[in-house]
Amino acid sequence: MDSRRRSVLETRHMTAGEVVDRIKKNIGVAWRETTYRDTYKSGSPETSVTGIATTMFNSFDVVERAVAAGLNMIVPHETTFWNDRDDLTVVNADALYREKRDYLAAHNVVIFRMHDHVHDRRPDFTYVGSARELGLDPAREMPPGSHRFTIPETTLEALAADIQRRMGIRALRVVGDPKARVSRIQLGVGYATPAANGPDVDVVISGEQQEVDGGLDAPEYIADAAALRLPRGWIMLGHNVSEEAGMLEMAQWIKTVVPEVPVQLIKSGEPFWAPK
Amino acid sequence: MAALSRREFVRLGTVGAAAAPFVLEGAATRAAAPTAQAIVDRIQRHVGVDSHPTTVDAFKAGDPSSVVTGIVTTSLATIAVMRRAIQVGANLIITSGPTFYSRADAPMPAGRRGTPPPPADPVFEAKHDLIRQNRLVVWRFSDHWRARTPDPFAQGIADTLGWTKYRVNGDPLRVTVPAITIGALAKEVNTKLNARGGLRVIGQPTARVQRIAVLPGTIPIQTTLDVFPDVDVIVAGEIREWESSEYARDLVHAGRSKALVLLGRSLSEEPGMNGCAMWLKTIVSEAPVRWIPAGDPYWRPAT
Repeated sequence: MDSRRRSVLETRHMTAGEVVDRIKKNIGVAWRETTYRDTYKSGSPETSVTGIATTMFNSFDVVERAVAAGLNMIVPHETTFWNDRDDLTVVNADALYREKRDYLAAHNVVIFRMHDHVHDRRPDFTYVGSARELGLDPAREMPPGSHRFTIPETTLEALAADIQRRMGIRALRVVGDPKARVSRIQLGVGYATPAANGPDVDVVISGEQQEVDGGLDAPEYIADAAALRLPRGWIMLGHNVSEEAGMLEMAQWIKTVVPEVPVQLIKSGEPFWAPK
Repeated sequence: MAALSRREFVRLGTVGAAAAPFVLEGAATRAAAPTAQAIVDRIQRHVGVDSHPTTVDAFKAGDPSSVVTGIVTTSLATIAVMRRAIQVGANLIITSGPTFYSRADAPMPAGRRGTPPPPADPVFEAKHDLIRQNRLVVWRFSDHWRARTPDPFAQGIADTLGWTKYRVNGDPLRVTVPAITIGALAKEVNTKLNARGGLRVIGQPTARVQRIAVLPGTIPIQTTLDVFPDVDVIVAGEIREWESSEYARDLVHAGRSKALVLLGRSLSEEPGMNGCAMWLKTIVSEAPVRWIPAGDPYWRPAT
């Protein structure tokens, strides 16, 4: 209510195109003109912006909550139409696609994805957010920018339990000997999961990775390391959980370059649950 | 190996024809235990699918001319599976997954382009040593096993879950079960497939479902879009999290009584490798065949 009134007063002169121009001008790296990800997915640049929601996955639920909060521009990190290019030829025969598209149109929602440039800029919002949520002290990142952290020695089980509790994850997945003593963490985000056999690394924490038939299949590698009593672990947070805190960073940053309209994170949240 | 192939040929000649009944074929050769190559040749003759021009189905380790003392099937030829195979006296491992942690099954980790080769990896080295010291032979059986009709991986899951009687039109990929809540279904799948922590679900636990698609392995969004309109639940191995899981989340949010149950790729292929062991027994009588599951690689902390 309050935010709605404020938005009417403050957004008269701000279009989605102007918001995007501010983002491009201030993101700190040259804009990739060839990006197929960081583009409009719905709505037009001429739309007057009442407020901006950042989110991880642009789920139907997020879209509805943004509309309810009076925010008609969404800046998601990930897809809206369930494929990386948001290629509509993949989905246009689908009934749910048409429902989501029609809802977006009916509520005049503009979507502009921010993926590649989030990872290009330094620091990358997603690493900052994930490290904070995991309780990894930036002062212990050595060397800086390496996403490698040394923590006081603990067991893989205690580390995983702490992460699960801290981040409220329902479907955390861990590979490795629970009793393995670990202290050196390599952090990854989303699908950018570091190789499980990195030297001087005990545990990889990341979002998602292909399980089998990739370049270095971590579940099998870590299971074998455990069979050999090598202290190695692999903790998969899930793609959404892994990068969502970075979208809070992004919301806070957009506020600094677009002070005219309200900006907030709307969490898509972990999609999964696990049977007890 | 040419000599072995010849011996195989002669051996087949003794029972008259390659098409002779399996039991006769086995009985006639009990004295001469077959080599790993001979077993693979026999598999290729009997599998009944077109040969794939590019395939991962090949020897990954060991000497194909080794005489086979026993055969183990598994979804993943892990060190733990190899140790159990050694314990039971088997030396041929037939796996649906890689052995050396990649589709290429390169015997050493690949270096990054433009950098010196990486130092020896202790996990790779130990696995090579285990194979060498115990004269194991590993052969991958994925593309051709998967190509059989009905899909042996789906069949394995359906059999394990007791769904075979609920098949729609005899297709193990589709079953219609008595109405069950998504919560109860997930629990049953979790228990019967011996999942540890790998099972993940999207869907309202209290919603009731009946029509299930069983899609082991890894499925792209196109498959999910094609299949979901006709079923309540997709039980899949693996998906990409910017694709099918988000689609399922949106479906549920839009009010559909639907669910996506993810098993993990390896766990989804384990029952099909049990089926593979049973099938192998029908064409190999000279050596014991057993399934040793690699099991669910994932766990979750308590509470």
